Amino acid sequence: MTIVEELERAGLTGRGGAAFSTAIKVRAAHDNDADLVVNACDGEVGARKDAWVVEHHLAELVEGARLVTSGRRDRVTYAAHRGSRTADLLTRAGLEVLDVPARYVSSEETAILSLLHGGLAKPMTKRLPFVYGGRDSLGKRIAPTVVLNAETVWRVSQVRRNGPDWFRRFGTDTEPGPRLVSVGGAVAHPGIFEVGSGVPIRDLLDAAGGLEPRVPALLVGGLGGVLLTTDEAATTAWSGPGMAAYGGSMGAGVIEALDPTRCPLDVVTDLVTYGAGESAGQCGPCMFGLPAVAESWAELARDPNQQTLDRLQDRLGVIPGRGACHHPDGVTRFVGSALRVLMPHIHEHVAGPCPLGRSRHAVH
Amino acid sequence: MTGQTLWFISRATGTVSLILFTTIVVLGMVIAGRRAPHGDSATIVMGLHRWLSLGSLAFLALHIVTAIADGYVSVGWLSTILPFTSVYRTFWVGLGTLAVDILLAVVVTSYLRHRMPERSWKAIHWLSYAMWPFALIHGFAMGTASEPLLRWLTVLCGAAGAAAVAWRLRTTHADRERRALVNFQEWS
Amino acid sequence: MPSTDREVGVRIAVDRVLCTGHGVCARTLPGRIRLDEWGYPIVEAVAVDPVDADLAVKLCPARALYLR
Repeated sequence: MTIVEELERAGLTGRGGAAFSTAIKVRAAHDNDADLVVNACDGEVGARKDAWVVEHHLAELVEGARLVTSGRRDRVTYAAHRGSRTADLLTRAGLEVLDVPARYVSSEETAILSLLHGGLAKPMTKRLPFVYGGRDSLGKRIAPTVVLNAETVWRVSQVRRNGPDWFRRFGTDTEPGPRLVSVGGAVAHPGIFEVGSGVPIRDLLDAAGGLEPRVPALLVGGLGGVLLTTDEAATTAWSGPGMAAYGGSMGAGVIEALDPTRCPLDVVTDLVTYGAGESAGQCGPCMFGLPAVAESWAELARDPNQQTLDRLQDRLGVIPGRGACHHPDGVTRFVGSALRVLMPHIHEHVAGPCPLGRSRHAVH
Repeated sequence: MTGQTLWFISRATGTVSLILFTTIVVLGMVIAGRRAPHGDSATIVMGLHRWLSLGSLAFLALHIVTAIADGYVSVGWLSTILPFTSVYRTFWVGLGTLAVDILLAVVVTSYLRHRMPERSWKAIHWLSYAMWPFALIHGFAMGTASEPLLRWLTVLCGAAGAAAVAWRLRTTHADRERRALVNFQEWS
Repeated sequence: MPSTDREVGVRIAVDRVLCTGHGVCARTLPGRIRLDEWGYPIVEAVAVDPVDADLAVKLCPARALYLR
């Protein structure tokens, strides 16, 4: 059986967030004689699993890359954030490392491809997948290249070694295989956990030693994910359908419990301000829309009123789907979910001072 | 047609071409340098820029054909495409030829814009900033000596173009400023 | 003028990196494209009459509008 057939039978999907069929990507890579980039950036807020794979399963990672590129090691580049321990480990292993600026959108696959081809680490308009080769917006040639997340490449070697049937013993029929989750924030023992789709999120939190008291909400999927209330998290399965009920997904496998000592509105302000600042300044709706969303949110946190709420919702409504990459979609999705989850808390702000906001006026 | 008539037609169409080029170049600068909250005026400016460019070719063609057919002076067909080959006033005719070459390149690439890399199109389009003064000087040196009206028209074209360039160098808009600001950050 | 319920035609898209917010497409494809508060296009209907689309594509100063 070829590796593509094995991946097809295993049903492996990308672990970087998009959850696209790895078999299809690898087949396209073979058909187009594409180079491979292994994305080990851990670009999502709270993500640490790529670092974990590099630290604990480097040999299998390299083996997976070899399988994807039909044994041609010179076709593989490992992308990691500049100055990160991951970049250091990869370099010391003698691998070809692409130093990616340690920022949010630079970890996106087309931004990595742009950087790899001598351009800036900014996302490109994807008229066709770059596994077929293509051009950036200004016409620069991009050679056929496939970008796979580090965990995905590691799983490729596992599928070869243990077989598709082993792989399908984990998870569900539609979302098979083991997958990594980084659980962090206000939990007793933050860590990386390996589970199958369908496991209750409560089990994941228990594995991390449980939530600290009075955690106001959980951030699932980072800046491109959604907020959940602790009650929702306690009754929801870690699965695509489970998360879809809240407009989210399993994404890059990140669960963060928000700091119980800070007003969650302020936490969201910080996150959305960070997200706005991470715009690559290429697409109007992102470079102007996200700062406007951040401003509206901050205003709402400071002085909640209907007019500000309406303006925020209008802005959230028009921005998604209008960037070269999905950064604006992710940030607006996150803010939309924050609005839903924190609405009761916003009402508490209308009534009086923040009940949680011990550090509300602290400088951070 | 007598040589005299041809000479008049050539001068007239040359003058009209120059006025059109000036207008087209100024409109181009307006497109690049300005953003309005609604697209209404930009649409008119862009439409004019595009269609005047096409229309100007008719005047330019007539200008060239009549100048050569005139026969009073020796310019030669080769000089329509190869600069500085005219026996008659080699340098000043040559500037006109250069302007024609650039103009053709700019027009052809604009029609093929969707089939070529954007940065190639842009590089060639920037040559318009050379085309326009070449045409201006060519016209001023060759066609206006005995005609104060034409001389003043040419000077007016020069002044309008220069003012537009000065405006274009100083003007900015939100889209450009934000891109520049973000580009200043670490991206490679 | 395109009728708003017409679903046949070519499919338009905007290259968001090339788009610098001239706003011309909102005039060349009224009812199909409108501008947001910052002047950038919102594509409200992807399917467009081929003749209208052709003109709109030609008149986009940034070459950002394209047919899919």
